[in-house]
Amino acid sequence: MIKTAPIAITGLGCLCAAGMNLAECLESMFRSERNPHAPVRFSTDHPVSYPVLELREDFKLPLDDQQTIYARTSQLALAATLEALTDAGWDVASLRGKRVGVCIGTTVGCALNCDDFYRAYKDGDDPEMAAIERYLRSNPAAVIARQLKLDGPNQTVVNACSSGTDAIGLGASWLRAGACDIVIAGGADELSRVTYAGFSSLMITDTEPCKPFDVKRKGLNLGEGAGILILENESVRGTKAARGYVLGYGSACDAYHLTAPRPDGAGLKQAMQEAFTAAGVTPDQIAFVNAHGTGTPDNDRVESRVLSEVLPGTPFVSTKGYTGHTLGAAGGIEAVFTVACLQRGEIPANIGFVDADPELPGTPVTENTRIEGTVALSESLAFGGNNAVVILGKGAA
Amino acid sequence: MRMAISGIGISGGFGCGVAALRQALQRGVVEPRQCSVERNGATDTFPAYRTSIEGLDEFIPKRALRRIDHFSKMTLHSACLALQDAGLSGGDLSRLGVIIATGYGALKTTFDFLDSYLDFGYSCSSPTHFSNSVHNAAAAHVSMHFKTTAPSLTVTQFEMSVPSALLTAQLWLAEGRVDQVLFGTIDEYCAVLRYCRRQFFATGEQGPLQPFTFAEQSAVVGEGAAFFVLSRGEEDARYGAIDAVTLGNHAVVPLTLPHDDLLIIGADGHAECGRWYAQALTDRAVAAYAPLYGSFPAAAGFDLAVAALSQQDGLLYASPATAGAADSALQVVAARRPLGKANIACLKFGPGGDYGLIRLSR
Repeated sequence: MIKTAPIAITGLGCLCAAGMNLAECLESMFRSERNPHAPVRFSTDHPVSYPVLELREDFKLPLDDQQTIYARTSQLALAATLEALTDAGWDVASLRGKRVGVCIGTTVGCALNCDDFYRAYKDGDDPEMAAIERYLRSNPAAVIARQLKLDGPNQTVVNACSSGTDAIGLGASWLRAGACDIVIAGGADELSRVTYAGFSSLMITDTEPCKPFDVKRKGLNLGEGAGILILENESVRGTKAARGYVLGYGSACDAYHLTAPRPDGAGLKQAMQEAFTAAGVTPDQIAFVNAHGTGTPDNDRVESRVLSEVLPGTPFVSTKGYTGHTLGAAGGIEAVFTVACLQRGEIPANIGFVDADPELPGTPVTENTRIEGTVALSESLAFGGNNAVVILGKGAA
Repeated sequence: MRMAISGIGISGGFGCGVAALRQALQRGVVEPRQCSVERNGATDTFPAYRTSIEGLDEFIPKRALRRIDHFSKMTLHSACLALQDAGLSGGDLSRLGVIIATGYGALKTTFDFLDSYLDFGYSCSSPTHFSNSVHNAAAAHVSMHFKTTAPSLTVTQFEMSVPSALLTAQLWLAEGRVDQVLFGTIDEYCAVLRYCRRQFFATGEQGPLQPFTFAEQSAVVGEGAAFFVLSRGEEDARYGAIDAVTLGNHAVVPLTLPHDDLLIIGADGHAECGRWYAQALTDRAVAAYAPLYGSFPAAAGFDLAVAALSQQDGLLYASPATAGAADSALQVVAARRPLGKANIACLKFGPGGDYGLIRLSR
């Protein structure tokens, strides 16, 4: 891996349980608000109710028709994209004729989890195909490209919970390689009865609001949302100020277990090292880390140990206490927060953390914390042993 | 950046391995298997190109495969064949990146997971089925088996999955992130898919698959996995090399095709995609091989395998079906012929006019 050129981030967009846009998310997080509750949009006969972090209110897209024809994941992706484009100073029409790539990470957004349809099929009925049609037209990257009439590469990354981070790193590579001039990159995922059932079957969901890195942590809370960044090459950006920069990206596979992280964190360390090399920065330059921090015992243990070893003393925070674990969207949302926090010069408290775990060498920030420096790191760990890291720089805008 | 193709592993309706694909190309015909689904007391019989994983236990002990589903077994089988073909079966593979392109992912396991809670309640949801239903589970099994600690990526984009993921393989090699990429394309058949296709296409897709009857639905469902070992080194180009991957949307900016390339088109009897070939292609030499492996999103990887094999063999194989071609100005390759100095390009359209163009050369 060689040092790679910085890629300008000109726009940010985000919606999740913390807020319906980035400004709302930041305000609520810095007020230490969160509202996990039992799922509202679906029900199950599970004897235990696990809290989730849903969007606070319904949302309406300012585009025709797509509200009903696309799956919720794609609607979330579109909403965050429109916010990010506006933030970057683009109206949709002005993108036409430009080479615009779309790189989106997701988990639920690409799975055939149409369980109402499948229930009817199993029951011997002849279910209508509306659910399948919606699935077939809802590939998140393709939806954004189609809806905005874009011409360029598009790719939906399904690397489980590192998908959003991977999508940002890959999107930056497209620009460096000249595959396009602008990239819409990030992640999106909806809450689903299927992942709710799946994660509870793995016994890694908490029955209470999640507590990343706390000694009493019992698991994650699922969430939903989307986080999108607009990346631009210099010829398109011109003199427009950058919100931030993608400085480096690294990824590595544990090759260890389908769902558990490798205990020694070798894959995460390798991904970090690759990102440092690509960014041309050293660990002492990192102002803070937006950790994956799901609140699962294994994951937090590995992450705490690796952070203490590679970035000793560097402040870190998990924002999943505010957003829940948004799966394929997590890396997108957290990268957006990372850039915004660099600009703001502070990071929010790691909500849910009260008591340190003597097994963990590092503890997250427990209150809103001023940070010094212009470079930060956001990391994601995923099923399949994927580890992805992006190093982001502070912009002027 | 040119990507040398040094190994291919493949399994589909024609059999397993490069030799089986070459034999199918030489014969020019593969009969789909007659399959049937029992439902509500009725039997639905239909043709399908199904694949077998026979021979996987030559590479991986049966015991190690007990909890692995058909999708991941197909993946592992073709991955093993590709690495063997490239002479990379042993040794340190830590710098081998893994990229998998799939349209639908592990369909059967997805529904098996739903079965677990629909049949027995949510508290009985199967963790094994859930973790194997996630799209990147197959790539994880590959990485775990071969101890590849380099980056691993899974991409899904329906018909565009293959060119889209290939673009990433090219970037990984160009940036020096990996020394080689194990690039795989895979989709599987399942009974629910049959139900869906029957509902969507009233004729029930009884075949025969006619790729050049663009306006008619003649698709026959297929499944399979095609894997490639890709690298930067020219000396590794046993099957030639991939020069460029282009993605776009013909409805937004019309596709400009390279003048002299012989085109292998991904037309697979799917009318909604077929109309774009009819629009974009004019008087030129084309071939289509879907009648050898069937219709499924990842079949673009099979077209790529045919192109690579054609480069190694120095000839273009006859299109297995030419019906419908007479209605257009296309010059369908109706008989085997030397490739000469021509290069090959693989073109795949999706239903919305989105396209992927993969250009190869020797």
